[in-house]
Amino acid sequence: MIRLTIDGQEVTVPEGTMIVDAAARLGVDVPVYCYHQALGPLGACRMCLVQVEKMPKLVTGCTTAVTEGMVVHTKGGAVEKGRKGVLEFLLINHPLDCPVCDKGGECYLQDYTFEYGPGRGRFQEPKIQKVKNGPINDLVLIDQERCVLCQRCVRFMGDYVGEEQLLLEGRGVETVVTTVDHQPATSQFTGNVIDLCPVGALLSAPYYHKGRPWNIDRHSTVCPHCPVGCSSLATTRESHIIRLEGRPVPDRDWGWLCDRGRFGYDFGYHADRIADSWVKERATSAAQATRDVAEWMQQTNAQYGPGSIGFVMGGQFTAEEAHLIKKFAHDVAQSDNVAVMRNVRGYLPAALNGTFQDLTEADTVVFVGVDPYEAVPVVHLKLRDRLRHFSQLKVLGVGPRRLTRDTMPGRDYLVASQDEAVFFARALAAAAKDGPGVQTLVDSVRDYVLPVSDADIEAFGQALLDAEHLSLLWDGENAAMAEVLAVLAGLREKPTAVLPTFGPVNWRGYEQAGIDPRYDNVEELLNKTRTGEIRMLVLWGADLTRDLPDRQLAEQALAKADYVVSAQVVPPLDMPYIDALLPVATWGEVEGTYVNMEGRLSIGAAGVQPPGQARPTRTYVANWGRLFRQDFGLDDEWDPFDSAQGDLISRAGNNHGPAQAVPRPGTRDASQEWTIIEGDWVMENGMPSEILEPRETEFVARVSPEDAARLGIGEHGGYVEAQTAGGTVMIGVQADPAIVERTLWIPRGSRHDWAQHLEGLVKLTRPEEVPSV
Amino acid sequence: MSQKYYLLRNREVADIDRMDVYLAHGGYQALKTALTDYKPEELVDLVKKSGLRGRGGAGFPTGMKWGFLPNDGRKRYLVVNSDEAEPGTYKDREIIEKNPHQLVEGIIISSYATKAREAYIYCRGEFLFGAEQLQRAVSEAYAEGFLGENILGSGFSVDLKVYRGAGAYICGEESALLESLEGRRGNPRLKPPFPAIAGLYGGPTVVNNVETITNVPAIVTYGAEWYTSMGTAKSPGVKIFSVSGRVSRPDNYEIPLATPLRSLIDDYAGGVLPGHKIKAVIPGGSSVPLLLPDKLDTPLDYESVLQAGSMLGSGGCIVLDDSVCMVGATARLVKFYREESCGKCTPCREGTYWMTDVLDRIERGQGTEEDLDTLMDIADNIGGKCFCPLGDASLGVLVSAMKFFRDEFEAHVREHACPMGAKLYDTVNH
Ligand SMILES: Cc1cc2nc3c(=O)[nH]c(=O)nc-3n(C[C@H](O)[C@H](O)[C@H](O)COP(=O)(O)O)c2cc1C
Ligand code: SF4
Ligand code: SF4
Ligand code: SF4
Ligand code: FES
Repeated sequence: MIRLTIDGQEVTVPEGTMIVDAAARLGVDVPVYCYHQALGPLGACRMCLVQVEKMPKLVTGCTTAVTEGMVVHTKGGAVEKGRKGVLEFLLINHPLDCPVCDKGGECYLQDYTFEYGPGRGRFQEPKIQKVKNGPINDLVLIDQERCVLCQRCVRFMGDYVGEEQLLLEGRGVETVVTTVDHQPATSQFTGNVIDLCPVGALLSAPYYHKGRPWNIDRHSTVCPHCPVGCSSLATTRESHIIRLEGRPVPDRDWGWLCDRGRFGYDFGYHADRIADSWVKERATSAAQATRDVAEWMQQTNAQYGPGSIGFVMGGQFTAEEAHLIKKFAHDVAQSDNVAVMRNVRGYLPAALNGTFQDLTEADTVVFVGVDPYEAVPVVHLKLRDRLRHFSQLKVLGVGPRRLTRDTMPGRDYLVASQDEAVFFARALAAAAKDGPGVQTLVDSVRDYVLPVSDADIEAFGQALLDAEHLSLLWDGENAAMAEVLAVLAGLREKPTAVLPTFGPVNWRGYEQAGIDPRYDNVEELLNKTRTGEIRMLVLWGADLTRDLPDRQLAEQALAKADYVVSAQVVPPLDMPYIDALLPVATWGEVEGTYVNMEGRLSIGAAGVQPPGQARPTRTYVANWGRLFRQDFGLDDEWDPFDSAQGDLISRAGNNHGPAQAVPRPGTRDASQEWTIIEGDWVMENGMPSEILEPRETEFVARVSPEDAARLGIGEHGGYVEAQTAGGTVMIGVQADPAIVERTLWIPRGSRHDWAQHLEGLVKLTRPEEVPSV
Repeated sequence: MSQKYYLLRNREVADIDRMDVYLAHGGYQALKTALTDYKPEELVDLVKKSGLRGRGGAGFPTGMKWGFLPNDGRKRYLVVNSDEAEPGTYKDREIIEKNPHQLVEGIIISSYATKAREAYIYCRGEFLFGAEQLQRAVSEAYAEGFLGENILGSGFSVDLKVYRGAGAYICGEESALLESLEGRRGNPRLKPPFPAIAGLYGGPTVVNNVETITNVPAIVTYGAEWYTSMGTAKSPGVKIFSVSGRVSRPDNYEIPLATPLRSLIDDYAGGVLPGHKIKAVIPGGSSVPLLLPDKLDTPLDYESVLQAGSMLGSGGCIVLDDSVCMVGATARLVKFYREESCGKCTPCREGTYWMTDVLDRIERGQGTEEDLDTLMDIADNIGGKCFCPLGDASLGVLVSAMKFFRDEFEAHVREHACPMGAKLYDTVNH
């Protein structure tokens, strides 16, 4: 630790701390532009000049590390003149745009000029003219005249994200920020440069000229688009969410968002948003629909007794709403058949659930079936951050496609999804044959043939055991992995953390509310429906047809139920089976708790009114309660926060029983030429966005570049004919080097109908005539 | 005045740039001596003893720089700075165009001394002929077995590549040079770490000027004592001065350090043009302050020139006589820095732009009294506040001109024109 004095106050900070950060500890503000803790020092803007005793010149506080006994002054004539000088320089070529600039009122150039700048300009010459509102891509604009050349954006994309899509062009006063070859930036993370830009140079295209700081409100929330649940701020104006910004959490989170999250806030007022109540395919009043549904419930209960109504939670509801559904089901609808919608079969006990802190400490990370860049993008950034600080980070991928990538290099073990648990079990058996539970685990798969050499299997097992701090990301596709992970954690004495990447986004919140989120539970509920034990389904955000891996079960249950009630934000694929479609309020319209993939609770604020007839869950259950003439205690305030745990859910309790054998995967039909695999891809998570339309592609399925060449698919994708058991469908495909040959990757829960009709895929062929896009 | 050349050796010999001619005149003898008679450490010691200082401008002791390389087994690099772009300096250019083999020989010896396995010459983009000459010399040296694996059976190996920049003054600054050499935008790097610790591709790297390295064969041949017998104790040896401006024989002159400035101008460069008087001298390239004629007896060594109020710099000696308008000359030089500012840091990028415009206005007779104070205040806001020395370099001539010749600036303001009737150049082109 180093002791120094800043403006007469003593402070002790770790070695290597820069003066600006030491000053911040004392609450002393040193103005900065180019410096950002996540990006490191650059020394370009010279805004942070301070005086250090015994040094002949002013020094930049962002590039000067503290030394023992150092005496720093951040005030005084020399510093003040230095700051004035730098600000005057920044202003000479800065356009007089403040009155029309989106950043006006929240701009560091305005703030610092006001606080430290010259009162008056002396510059009389013509200003340099540059491009205004040029595109970075469809979502981000650049006004080169307003740029202070702090390079935060360039360094973020290049050094931090690792996708060098922005650069400086020209030199001296002609220098500008632009994109490589003047082509649109395609990274998933481009929107972050808007937050990083200290001035109004990088702007959100959809927010352009939509609000000023004094006529907007900002609400603290979390992004609802994937299980990361990034902390963010929603900007609202006139009951519309018009912007999402990252919200840094000191010492924990830089506040990055992916473009999916940052720009996908408009589903609430998208043209597809359900704003009317529909009963038996006819629009009706909210009151009528509520009455009809209540009547059906009463009738079902009267006829078939308690437990004849099944409730399935999906969507992006809050934990409090899940609690209300659970309570309503039990107290009023007399049913404990409440389940969580699942699109994969895996479940992770909270005891094994790690936090993002585990990623910042990991020396080894294993991607089980998941590519974080696509499924949980900001986790990819968190890993990039780790890689910057720890270049030896070992990255291993296990799954039916390559899961590492250029920006997250590592080693891939290519095994079929159904073989993932076998691969782990055998790896553990090879590296720790006497470990507790290992022999049981591997018992029925000892001689199962894997496409990986014994040496590689053992090396993988050894890597799992040797890791100082092991973090695994798991997509939940292979349910037997839960068993493996429990045994693995038991074998290791050092930290072992698993982060589940599967949805629905708030499944842990639903679990906190007392609903069993395991696949078995929803499967059992639907089996009961299929057999007629359950007569009515209430689907709260759940879309069985789209999400349930067992499509046949979904269809049979939906067909068999007397009534299917579905509360939704956008039309589900279940539509043909639905008797009552209820418009329900969603994220941003209801305040409540979300629990993310690290088991952390956050509050999402309500900032806008739901459109049309859309009502919050609470309104529906309260009305039904009244219609049932039953007061079921809506006032009992249930609180998902447990004061002992802070904002993390409890990890205790889930004591794992004795190890179970990994089941032997069924043999694959060797006659099938193609393997279909699924993966999570945030852009295809079902929530529509007009803003993101330019980023969307019809060619969402992927094949290897070799197959693409054979199928005549060009650089940007194309259509192919898929012959399946049920007939021929046309599907949009593109090439992806991560996909192995004879494999068709499709996004899980795709909004595309055809994705549900690929069962029994026989072959893909070039279509006779390519339909125009 | 008779002149003995070591750095510009055999300057008069035709085709000395060809291997056979160079060999016939004793070329690569120093290399043989170095490889057979010296261990690398002994060569470092020899250069330390000679007191050789860097000729790129800063005058940093070369042997000491070599001694900074950490002994940690990482691959080492030697990078030779041939980006010479400072107005008034053209000494490295003569070496690479006329006598490239002496540089190549110096590089091989220096690589041996510093145990560099890879060496680069970073050549200024505009020096097309120079780069071709170097490339040819390097190929010839490979053909003779002076470069590559196991040179002359010594067990020592080094590869040398010539790299052409794209034409930017800032790429002469060593860290910007390394960025550019690695294929990135030529912006200076944050220091520390210095190149000796983390230079090219993060490896330990020595960066030396062309002239610095060209000294090495001579020091090996004639010894450290010979070198220290010239110049002063702190500034020993010989140095090339590029004389330009209003003199009769502008050229490169290789003279012992501590030779008086007056002698360089009068005895070597043939004196100021007939009928004119010296008004001021820029002794060390466009980045250093002016010296007035009362300082003409200053010995040309690092310490004395500093004491006289300027710097020896790269040895580009620009002579200004009484026909020169100081406002115009200053405007011209400041514009150079505006054009060459890399744009990384605010004061240099914006300040040089602003100063250029103000100077242009004054030169055109459209300046005001207030402009003169503003100009000095801009200079003060640049001075000592930039990321790299280029920003400060833009002030050397301006600040001294305003100090010594403020009356000329004031006259421009008062008379709304150049009192000397000097021709206007188009300084600013937006
Ligand atoms: C703006 C700027 C330009 C420079 N240009 C050159 C140059 O053209 N050639 C050169 O040798 N050194 C140049 N230098 C100095 C180099 O940074 C470095 O100090 C030198 O190459 C070291 O070699 P030496 O020790 O042999 O002098 C420049 C420095 C600055 C700040
Ligand atoms: S665009 Fe913004 S973030 Fe990028 S360099 Fe300019 S001011 Fe900095
Ligand atoms: S990573 Fe997930 S939670 Fe975060 S911004 Fe992207 S979609 Fe939203
Ligand atoms: S002083 Fe700043 S702008 Fe000028 S060349 Fe150096 S780093 Fe670039
Ligand atoms: S913040 Fe220190 S130089 Fe930019």
